[in-house]
Amino acid sequence: MKVLNFYPERCTGCRECAMACSLVKFGECNPRKSAVTVIRDEFKRYEYAVFCLQCDEPVCVDVCHQNAYTVEDGVIKHDDDRCIHCRLCAAMCPYSAITVHGKDIVKCDLCDGDPTCVKYCATDALVYEEETKEMALKRKEMVERILGTP
Amino acid sequence: MITFLWTACISLKKGKQVLDRKIGIVNLSRNSVKILDMPKDIRAKYLGGRGINTYLLHKLLRKGVDPLSPSNVLILGAGLLTGTLVPNSSRFNVSTKSPETGFLGDSNCGGFFAPEMRYAGFDHIILKGKAKKPRYVYVEDGNIEIRDARDYWGMNTNDAQISFRKDLGDVEVACCGTAGENLVRFANLRTGVKNSAGRCGTGAVMGSKNLKAVVAYGTMGLKIKHPQKLLDVVKEVEDYILGSKITPILGSVGTPLLYEVSNELGAIRTKNSQLNQWSDSLNAENIEKEVEKMIGCSSCIVHCRHRNKLGGEGPEYTSVGLLGANVGIDDVKQMIELQNIANDLGLDVSSAGTILAWAFELFERGMIDEKMTGEKLEFGNFEQARSLLHDIAGREGFGDILAESTQAAKKFGKKSEDYLIAVKNLPQSDPHDVRYIKAFALGIATASRGADHLRSRPTLEIFLRLPKEVKERIYGKGVSLDPTSYEGKEKTVVFSENIFAVIDCLGICKFICHGFNSPHFLDYPRFETLLEAATGMKYGRRKMEAVGKRVVDTERMFNIRQGLTRKDDTLPKRYFDDPMPLGAPKGHHIDRKEFDGMLSRYYKLRGWDEAGMLAPSRVEEIESVGGLP
Repeated sequence: MKVLNFYPERCTGCRECAMACSLVKFGECNPRKSAVTVIRDEFKRYEYAVFCLQCDEPVCVDVCHQNAYTVEDGVIKHDDDRCIHCRLCAAMCPYSAITVHGKDIVKCDLCDGDPTCVKYCATDALVYEEETKEMALKRKEMVERILGTP
Repeated sequence: MITFLWTACISLKKGKQVLDRKIGIVNLSRNSVKILDMPKDIRAKYLGGRGINTYLLHKLLRKGVDPLSPSNVLILGAGLLTGTLVPNSSRFNVSTKSPETGFLGDSNCGGFFAPEMRYAGFDHIILKGKAKKPRYVYVEDGNIEIRDARDYWGMNTNDAQISFRKDLGDVEVACCGTAGENLVRFANLRTGVKNSAGRCGTGAVMGSKNLKAVVAYGTMGLKIKHPQKLLDVVKEVEDYILGSKITPILGSVGTPLLYEVSNELGAIRTKNSQLNQWSDSLNAENIEKEVEKMIGCSSCIVHCRHRNKLGGEGPEYTSVGLLGANVGIDDVKQMIELQNIANDLGLDVSSAGTILAWAFELFERGMIDEKMTGEKLEFGNFEQARSLLHDIAGREGFGDILAESTQAAKKFGKKSEDYLIAVKNLPQSDPHDVRYIKAFALGIATASRGADHLRSRPTLEIFLRLPKEVKERIYGKGVSLDPTSYEGKEKTVVFSENIFAVIDCLGICKFICHGFNSPHFLDYPRFETLLEAATGMKYGRRKMEAVGKRVVDTERMFNIRQGLTRKDDTLPKRYFDDPMPLGAPKGHHIDRKEFDGMLSRYYKLRGWDEAGMLAPSRVEEIESVGGLP
C-alpha cells in the first residue's frame, strides 16, 4: 500500500505543497488553510511538513461523535456535511495533522490516490510511495534516538 | 510590554480575491492609520510591487526631501503574484528616497514576509512621518496597529525577529538592525536570516522614523481566478525549469557559482578594482563544504540559499566577491563570517564591501591616514574588517565616517572620488568588473537606483557562444556577438530593464525568468498566462512590456525631480581610465567616446532626448495615471 512519506532533509521550506493543496481544495493560495502544513523557523534552522499519516487506529475517527470521519481503503476521509466544526478531532490528533482555519476543517485525503502536494514538491521531500526500506530504517533510528538506545 | 496606540480595521471578506488587497498608510507622526482600496487605474498601469511603489513614491515625494527626515516615505509593496503557487513568487520591493544616494531608493527582497503581508490583507504599506518613540507596525488580517517597540530597539536583526516570534507567535518580520537605528546610510531592511531589501539604505530610513519593524500575520488566502488553469500552467513551468541545466546547479551551490565564472574570465572586482582576478579558494566547491542545507524562499523551486555551518545563511556571489576578493580575503570561513555579521547588523554587503575596499586603497595611497582611521588599514585583514563592520553599525570611531557610504568623500577629499566604485552615489552591487563586457557597463550606468546589476544585467552577454539567431530573436538585429563591442548593446539593456521591471511588479524571482540565467526561462507569454490564470487580467506582450517601460520612465521622472542629469548616467572613473591589468581582459577599459555614443543610443531607444529627459507628452501621460485620493 502506498503512503505519503516526508524526507525533512530534502525540504527547503518553500510551501509549494501547501499552496497547491489549498488551491485544489479551496481555490485559494493559503499555506494556513492546507492539509499539509510546513512548519519552519529559519532561526531554529528547520523545516518540516505536517500532514495526516492515515493512522491504522485513528483518534479522529474515534472521537468524532458526528461520524464525520470514515475510513475508505485505508484513507481517512472527512465529511463536511456531517461535521459540526467542534474541532475535537484537531485537538486530539496526536500529530496535530488536522488543520483548523476559521470554521474549516482541513485534512489530507490523499487526493484520491494522486496527492497534489507531491506533484508540486520540487525536491521530492514529499513522496507517495510504497513503504521503503529507507523509511523503515529511518523509523527504527528515530525510535532508538527517542528511547536513547545506544 | 505591548501598547496599542492606534488601530485601523477593515472588513475584508476572507480569501475574497487576489486583487482585493489594500494599501495601508501609516502616519507615525500622527499615530494614525488609513486604509485604501487599490485604484484600478494604478493596478492596470503598474500591476504591483516595484511598479506601484514607484508610482506612489513619485506622487508622494516633492523635490529635495531630506531622505532621513520625517518627510520621506518608506513603501513596502508586494508583487501582484506574490504568495501564490506561481514558482518563486515571494518578492516585494521597498522604495524610498535613498539616504545613500539622494536619488531613487528601491530594493527587491525575497523570503516569507511579502506573502504574509498579503495574507494579512495588504499589498502596499506606506510608512510616513516619524514616531516620537520607538514603534513597530503590526499587521494582521485587515488590521494595522502602531505598537510600542521599546523592547526590541537596540537589537540586531536576528534577535529582533526571534523576540517578535517569541512574543507574537508565527509572524514574519521586516526590520532594521542597529545599523538602521544609527542611520548608517547603507543599512538595510531584513527579513529572515539573510533576505534583505539590501540596497539604498532602506534600513536607515526605517530607523529615521523611529520604526523598528513591520510585523505581519495573515490567514486570508489569495483567491485565484482560475485555480485549475493555474495548477496546470505552474506544473508545466515547474517541470520545464526543473529540467533545465542551470536549475540543479543553482539549487546545489547557489549564486557563488558565478564567482568562478567571473574570476576565470578575469572580471572579479579585486582590491577596489585595482586587480581583476583573485584566488580560486573562494570557488563554490569550497563554499559547499560550509553548507548545512540549501533552502528556499516562499514558493521557490530553485532553493539557492545556503544554510551555512557558521550560524547564518548565504553567502551570495555578492558576498563572495565583495567581502572576499574586494577586501583581499581568500579564506572561505572568514568571508562567510563577515557576511553573517553584516546580515545580522543590518548592513548591505554590497556597499559594505565596496566602501571598505575604497578606504583601504585610499589609506594605501596615503590619501587618508591614521589620524582619521585610528589604525593602519590594509586589505586582507579579517579581524580589522570584522571590527570595522561593527564600528560602522555602531557609528563608532572611523566607522562613523564609513557609515556615510559614498558621502564619506566629503571627509576623504574630492580626489578620493576617483577611486570610488559607484554610480549615482551607489556602490556597485555585484562583484563583476564591467570594463570587459560593455553591455554590463551600460547597465550599471543607467540603472535607476545607481550601480546595480539587478535592474538590467543582460547576463546572456557572458555566453560567448550564444547563436546569433537566439540573440537577434531576443534583442533585435544589430547587437554584436562580441561582448567587448559597444555595437547595439543599448538594445540588450533596454530589453532587460523593461522585463526586469515587469518581473519586479509581479513579485517573481529573476532566477527563473528570461534573460537573467537562461534565454529559455519565463518570458512575457508565460507572465501573461500566469497573470490571467491567477487574476483574470488579460495582457498581451505589448501591454505587458509597456508596464516595464512605464516603470522605468516613472523612476526616471522621480530621479529627474531629485536633480538627476545625463552626467549621472556614468561609470566609476577607474572603469574609463584604468585598463584591466590581468588575464584575458587585460588592457580593456571603457572608452569615453564609445560609451557616450552608446548612452545616446540608449536614450533614443527609450524615447528620451539627448539630455536624458522624457518627452513632455510622456510626462503628461504618466502624471495622468490617477486614482490615489
